[in-house]
Amino acid sequence: MRRALVILAATLASLAVVALVVYLVFTGPGDIPAPSRDLATLTPEAHAELVQAGEYVARAGDCVACHKSPDGLSLAGGTPMETPFGTIYGSNITPSPSHGIAGYSADDLYRVMVYGIAPDGRRLYPAMPYTSYHAISRADNDALWVWLMAQEPVARANRPAELIFPFNLRPLLAFWNLIYRPAPPDQPNSGLTAADEDPLERGRYLVEVLGHCSECHTPRNLAYARQSDAHLQGYVIEDALAPDITPAALARRGWTAGDLARFLSEGLAPQGVMTFRMFPVLSHSTKYMTPEDITAVAAYLMQNAPAASPPLPRLEAITENPEGHQLYLGLCAGCHGAEGEGQPFGSVPLRSNTSAMFDNPLNLVRIIREGIPARHLTGFQRMQEMPAFDDRLEDAELTALVNYLRQRWGGHADELSLEAVRDIQE
Amino acid sequence: MSDSMLTVSMRINGSDTEPADLPEDLMLLEYLQEYLNLTGTRYGCGQGVCRACAVIHDGANGPEVIAACITGVAWANGRSFRTIEGHASRDIEGNVTQLTAVQQAFLDHFSFQCSYCTPGFVAAATALVERLEAAPVARDAVEETVLNALNPNICRCTGYVRYLEATRDVILSTPGLTTEEVAERDAQP
Repeated sequence: MRRALVILAATLASLAVVALVVYLVFTGPGDIPAPSRDLATLTPEAHAELVQAGEYVARAGDCVACHKSPDGLSLAGGTPMETPFGTIYGSNITPSPSHGIAGYSADDLYRVMVYGIAPDGRRLYPAMPYTSYHAISRADNDALWVWLMAQEPVARANRPAELIFPFNLRPLLAFWNLIYRPAPPDQPNSGLTAADEDPLERGRYLVEVLGHCSECHTPRNLAYARQSDAHLQGYVIEDALAPDITPAALARRGWTAGDLARFLSEGLAPQGVMTFRMFPVLSHSTKYMTPEDITAVAAYLMQNAPAASPPLPRLEAITENPEGHQLYLGLCAGCHGAEGEGQPFGSVPLRSNTSAMFDNPLNLVRIIREGIPARHLTGFQRMQEMPAFDDRLEDAELTALVNYLRQRWGGHADELSLEAVRDIQE
Repeated sequence: MSDSMLTVSMRINGSDTEPADLPEDLMLLEYLQEYLNLTGTRYGCGQGVCRACAVIHDGANGPEVIAACITGVAWANGRSFRTIEGHASRDIEGNVTQLTAVQQAFLDHFSFQCSYCTPGFVAAATALVERLEAAPVARDAVEETVLNALNPNICRCTGYVRYLEATRDVILSTPGLTTEEVAERDAQP
């Protein structure tokens, strides 16, 4: 017995030593390539050029989505991100000496963007999408750094993450990184600051690296890392479905590259309007992208996609589900039209909308219950407020209506049960 | 417009309408104006946003305001509504004999000029007053309560303040709508 205890203690001790060695030797940052140019001796013209280029990198990377403050300051930090382990708040990335990143060098920014490690050695939570940003080009990183350092500093303290044990132990992230943090590619993309990129490769870089689309659209495993075998296949995150955006799934919901380009630049397409966390993506990022880049993103997402084959409307739904039909005519058709045709600048067409097509009814149910605020999209494009209907519909009525929409325009023949609809939390 | 018809009857201003065969996608506002000749309810944006078409729905949850322009007769069927024609008291010939407190207050405060939005404001303010009868609020919360209730209604002439003041005055001067009033009344021997 005593002997067994000694062996156990020795095993645990050697495991601890191994873990320490692994932590110290293998989990630090990897190589940091040389700066793309001498950033210390920029002429005013070169500096101004880099500020402009860096702003575009920041737009494409959508830094503001997570780093803006609740009172609307772009980079001052504080936007909450809900995870199953607790809430993480975007940090202050203004060049504030006391609370921001004034002390960062361009190398420091690269280490954070690519390896998720701050200058003081602190590991960032992977809510900061460094596993996507890891392939950023050094030139883009440097332009981003110049732009960040040219912003107004805001002395606003960071809000600490509120995570449950053991996820609140940052050193453990070193081991997560060991498994799930990819090394930067040997041949990084030349980046947005280079103009000679093949459009498809540029689209890939925008989607996979800077746009970090897969951070929401790819399912996560038990360690909350993205599942590489289910890339972009859709995931429920922050109480909304970020749908499957693989080429085949997009085509099944009727998307073409042209529709997708319009959606990303204007926030609106026959398939719907930017909703939930995609609306900030439009507001801070995609609407600022050049038409060429939008086209590249759409082309990459629709690469080798089959022809669009959206579900055909099923008129049988009217006779199969008379309660849903009456509720639709009584509460929805006034704006969305009896045939689901919608109104320009008012309400989206439902006959081509994708919300009813998803297997998961989460987004559809939430939109009916909670409504959608009036949206100023791009330019003069806008949509009226959709009222919330949670106080007008009993659970059974909501179920009938949801089923009707899914059956008539969503390509679903089956029926969701009352429980399935009711159990979707608001 | 749909070819399918729906037999519809509802209660409007306390009277049941004759059952009528209506296009199933007809909106309540059009039914009121074109079939019942109740033209006081206004057509504004047609999208449920401006509230010129607001009418009171007397449902299980008490009086609530709905936008008649986007609410179909398919939903209104069998329910009970009050339009602007149903607020004031009338004599046997239908002539108005007594305005409601809300209507009178809007006149006294010169709340409107062109009046296009007024039926909607009367509906919103009246529904608020009736909800407060069941659930009074503290006097210092009246301002905010009125603002929340009238906020969806759009007016392009007078700038809202006189509508808000008129509604606030009705609430503060009507016993039972605010909690201190209830306390004072109950305190009397």
